[in-house]
Amino acid sequence: FFWGGALVLCMDVGFSMSNSGPGQELAFEQAKRVIQKFIQRQVFAESKDELGLVLFGTDHTKNPLAEDGQYQNISIYRHLMMPDFELLEEIEHQLQPGSQHADWLDALVVCMDLLQKETVGKKYERLNIALLTDLNTLACADQLDVIIGNLKKAGITLQFFLPFPVDADAEGDGGGDGAGPQNPPPGGKGLSREQKQGLEMVKQVMTSLDDEDGLDEVHTFSEAVKKLSIFKPIERRPMAWPCQLTIGSSLSIRIIGYKAVCEEKFKKSWAVVEAESHQKDDVKRETVFCLNDDNETEVEKEKTIQGFQYGSDIVPFSKVDQEQMKYKSDGKSFAVLGFTKQETIHRHHFMGNQVLKVFAPKDDEHAGVALSSLIHALDRLKMVAIVRYVYDRRSNPQVGAAFPCIKQKYECLLYVQLPYMEDLRQFTFPSLENNKKFSPSEAQLSAVDALISSMMLVKEGEDGEKEDIFKVNSIPNPQFQRLFQCLHHRCVNPGTPLPPVEPWLKRMLDCPQAVSACCYDFLKEMKRCFPVKEVLQKKEQKTRKKSDLYNTCVLLLQVGSVNPAKDFHTLIQQKTISFEQACEQLTHRIEQLLGNRRTEYYMKTITCVQAFREQATGIFRNSGVFLPKVCTNMNADALTLISKDEVESSSVSKQEANQVLKVPSPFSWFLMANQLVSPVKLKHW
Amino acid sequence: MADWNAYYPKEDDEVEQEEGEESVGDYKSSGRDSLVFLVDASKEMFIKGEDGEPSNFDMTMQCVRSVYTSKIISSDKDLIALVFYGTEQSKNPRNTFKHVYVYHDLDSPGAQRVQNIDSLRGEEGAQLAAETMGSGQTSLGDALWCCYNLYSDIKLRLSHKRLMIFTCRDDPHGGDSTRDIRARTKAADLKGTGVVIDLMHLKKPGGFDVSCFFCDIVSPPEDERELGLQLEPCGKLEDLKNRVRAKEMKKRVQSRLTFSLGDGMNIAVGVYLLVKTATKPQAVRLYAETNEPVRTKTRLFHTQNGSLLLPSDTKRAQVYGKKQIVMEKGEVDEIKKFDDPGLVLIGFKPMDCLKLHHHIRPSLFIYPEEEQVTGSSCVFTALLQKCSERNVFALCKYTSKLNTPPRFVALIPQREVLDSSQVQAAPAGFHAIYLPYADDKRTLDVHDCPTASDEQVDKMKQIVHKLRFRYRSDAFENPVLQQHYRNLEALALDMCAPEAIEDFTMPKVKMMDDRLGPLVQEFKDLVYPPNYNPESKTAAKRKQADAEGAVDKKPKVEISEDELRAHVAKGTLSKLTVPVLKDACKHFGVRTTGTKKAELIEALLAQLN
Repeated sequence: FFWGGALVLCMDVGFSMSNSGPGQELAFEQAKRVIQKFIQRQVFAESKDELGLVLFGTDHTKNPLAEDGQYQNISIYRHLMMPDFELLEEIEHQLQPGSQHADWLDALVVCMDLLQKETVGKKYERLNIALLTDLNTLACADQLDVIIGNLKKAGITLQFFLPFPVDADAEGDGGGDGAGPQNPPPGGKGLSREQKQGLEMVKQVMTSLDDEDGLDEVHTFSEAVKKLSIFKPIERRPMAWPCQLTIGSSLSIRIIGYKAVCEEKFKKSWAVVEAESHQKDDVKRETVFCLNDDNETEVEKEKTIQGFQYGSDIVPFSKVDQEQMKYKSDGKSFAVLGFTKQETIHRHHFMGNQVLKVFAPKDDEHAGVALSSLIHALDRLKMVAIVRYVYDRRSNPQVGAAFPCIKQKYECLLYVQLPYMEDLRQFTFPSLENNKKFSPSEAQLSAVDALISSMMLVKEGEDGEKEDIFKVNSIPNPQFQRLFQCLHHRCVNPGTPLPPVEPWLKRMLDCPQAVSACCYDFLKEMKRCFPVKEVLQKKEQKTRKKSDLYNTCVLLLQVGSVNPAKDFHTLIQQKTISFEQACEQLTHRIEQLLGNRRTEYYMKTITCVQAFREQATGIFRNSGVFLPKVCTNMNADALTLISKDEVESSSVSKQEANQVLKVPSPFSWFLMANQLVSPVKLKHW
Repeated sequence: MADWNAYYPKEDDEVEQEEGEESVGDYKSSGRDSLVFLVDASKEMFIKGEDGEPSNFDMTMQCVRSVYTSKIISSDKDLIALVFYGTEQSKNPRNTFKHVYVYHDLDSPGAQRVQNIDSLRGEEGAQLAAETMGSGQTSLGDALWCCYNLYSDIKLRLSHKRLMIFTCRDDPHGGDSTRDIRARTKAADLKGTGVVIDLMHLKKPGGFDVSCFFCDIVSPPEDERELGLQLEPCGKLEDLKNRVRAKEMKKRVQSRLTFSLGDGMNIAVGVYLLVKTATKPQAVRLYAETNEPVRTKTRLFHTQNGSLLLPSDTKRAQVYGKKQIVMEKGEVDEIKKFDDPGLVLIGFKPMDCLKLHHHIRPSLFIYPEEEQVTGSSCVFTALLQKCSERNVFALCKYTSKLNTPPRFVALIPQREVLDSSQVQAAPAGFHAIYLPYADDKRTLDVHDCPTASDEQVDKMKQIVHKLRFRYRSDAFENPVLQQHYRNLEALALDMCAPEAIEDFTMPKVKMMDDRLGPLVQEFKDLVYPPNYNPESKTAAKRKQADAEGAVDKKPKVEISEDELRAHVAKGTLSKLTVPVLKDACKHFGVRTTGTKKAELIEALLAQLN
């Protein structure tokens, strides 16, 4: 069997990589990020590819080829193995720029040697080397042909990641995606002589490996980071489902079905672990049965039997009996029950959670012709086949529709499940359009019409080509992206609060800028045309609040890190823990937040402090409890200590409170809030 | 102790509840639905139609039966009562009313009740009815009063109260105005307590005149257009069933949400499920000695010291790249949060952008909620009308509830459809179709396939033509469910064998063959070579594969300890196949209960590290 792939990342850490003009990000940092993102992705995808890491330009030398002053300053950092978080952490904390430089072709040879030695005797699907360098070290081209020959012979593919685009040496500023002003080659406009030469060699290598598309495998750092930011979902191989399509008793056609669309669920589940030890084995789950009496008398599992509700009756029905009496299907089936007009199938009646594509087997052209006849017949008649579909002996039969689907590249049947009688609910709703109270006026209708025109997501270009600017099926499932982001964060920065949703992901899920800008005026018009007013229903609100509370009751037992301010509010309302405890927890969170010197964390801190202030004033005013001087908090806009004007027991006068406004950073606010520093001292900061 | 269920509302919090899934248990908050059938038992009801058509009484009983059985399947907590009026005998809780016979008082329907109704059907049923109840004087007022008492005797909270009168007499009291007035007063009392009264008037020689009496009894229509009273009386069972079904099902809103069009323009909508996969109900555990249901309680213990673990004593963990990542339960939930629940308009697209394969879950139905935001219905109607006219759908971001990641839905306009007898066949509103994300699409290796010739296609067209039928979405019963309920019915009623079901999903092979006649052979001659047999080929292949498999499996895939340790060190254990891992487990004396790959690997790692 195959062993997945093997890949060596080969990164230049040499002197020039950490040398750049003012205001420019170091090539070293960029390359490091490409590597991190790539490894992250491999780890979360639980890829079976093995990975090695070779650094060149290091201060020391560590590779088997180093002899007699050859292959110097090249180190094998990690041999081929599955990537893991250990590697990520090492890269994060240990990977430092070197002060030397090394020949990148030499480094390539070290990588090839590593790949060949460590893959001996095993079959790999692919072997790959990715080279990240700024090409600023002159490489010795003597061995170039030999190297290319060896690469070809070993079937090793190559990728280059550079700070500039491959066509950067052309006149002008090179253009190229993402390479813009952010990544001009170090030292001014053009590339250095070494870089120009290096680039020529890169081109030579890549085109001789693949003369057509070779240069497609030369990327810039920035474009690579962008692409790698999207975590690759776990790839699944489609499972073939061979069966026969039958029409009556004597006509059958061999087919193979594949799941084409199916909601991808997250494979891994969360294990419950003990809070202190983080051990799964420390938690034992026990399920007991008890009678519905006042004492909740426990009964043994052996003394219980299975039953079902049948209306008001409860019918004992053992598993064995159930198995014996249940409906049994006679194995897999794709049997046509009849044909009907496509328009009798309603889109909103699609059931189940998958779409199957049905093809003829690859090696059976007769089946292909037979299935093709059916597909084309259905297509021309605008009809569908109503089919009985049974996946296998153990599964329940479905009734569904098989639609003809003719594409340029292939043709197939598309199968979707349809409802059973029991699945339908005939609800009757009051008529909308025949109701005078609700029927819109002409002016209102035209306002809606204009809004629709301004918010069309499919635009026809000049060439008549339609362009869809919001393709849902190219958006990655945000749930997975967010989960991986948080998992990664927790792993690399343990003990810190979870980060906010990444901006690119948020943007991807919102109305495209082009549309929201254009529809603004029409929305205004809509608002003018349609008077809408929220009705506050007391009862409704009450129940809603209750359910909210219920939700949080179950979930919330302490101030979390994602939205500490809100948690704090809820905890105080719920009174699940004491006010002091809640304050303590919030303070703890604030401390954590301030440990991260980034704006978004500061902003979060401020909302926390605000929350603290709100609750504190409320509580002390109501209860008249002695106000500890501690409760002196502020917010970004009007941040004052809680003054005597607000709470009588406060020891801070309004004047004093206002003075605090001049304190410089959120950090000092925090210190003061906790009475770590007195306001007076702060003035001197 | 009782509080434990509050902490563990569901036993396994790892198994996420399906989004959009209805929480069936919310009867507590919303109460139960109730329905009273008030059936005329006068002599007129038992008159048989011409050509042996069933009597009105017989038809009513069939209809009532179908409601009973469908309630058992769809909402077995609902309460139903069956009351006859105009009987000779009387039977009611305090026996205060003459000529009113409470056959079933308000309770959830069970097997026994279905059987009772069965006994009232047909010729024998009429006879039985005559013996037990007989036909006598009529006082609708007393009957309504009796029903009033039925409702007030119920201690449960009722969310929806409906009463249906089945009769073929438009002037039940024969002009006795005192009794007419009494009936009107009692009807008004009932309506005053929130009971909706419907009339299911049946065929009567000379026509049923609603205006002479019943117009004052029944509840006013829900909306302006719905003019139930002008409907023709029901002559056919199908019509009656449809009319009853349309009324009897109380629409239950899934959730009420804000539909944001952008820039603070918000309306309120309700989300409904017009289709939902009906599944077998959950089994309940019973105490074997008494057959009473038992409750399950789940508790967490500390393995080391045996102490109870509170939810705050646990955290959640996953392992990636050999590292355990730990989060708090609250964090795990918050990760799933992107937006507050609601629908957010992104834009519009032409209808042809919605492809057949854009399907991952059954659709939802969206209808305005005027009670929450006034003006919602008007905006909604205008949007519906324009989307339908311009043949576009609205693309929206949909967050169904708290801590749920967003999905995108296509809102496709649905105009109201009425059937031939003016009953609503499809309500006006938007259907929300779930759209797949990039991750939900799977890449398939497509291969070139030969295309059929026109001659071959034409022959198939003839076959298709011969097997045409009119598809109706309610034509197929779920055989698995039906069988399950028949089994339960048989057990509940001590029948010796369950009633046989008809499996509508099976192809009617005989009929199809007859209709197709020689066409099949002609088609086969066109597409298949003479010796081709589509069935035998796969069979042969499978056999061969089996044989190969047998050979393959024999030599045991063993792995040396060194190799295994190398895999552990490199983290490549997952590359080994399950049989190899199992073998390794055996070899190292690792006992595992699991058979999954991850479990085997975990066990091996525990042993070798």
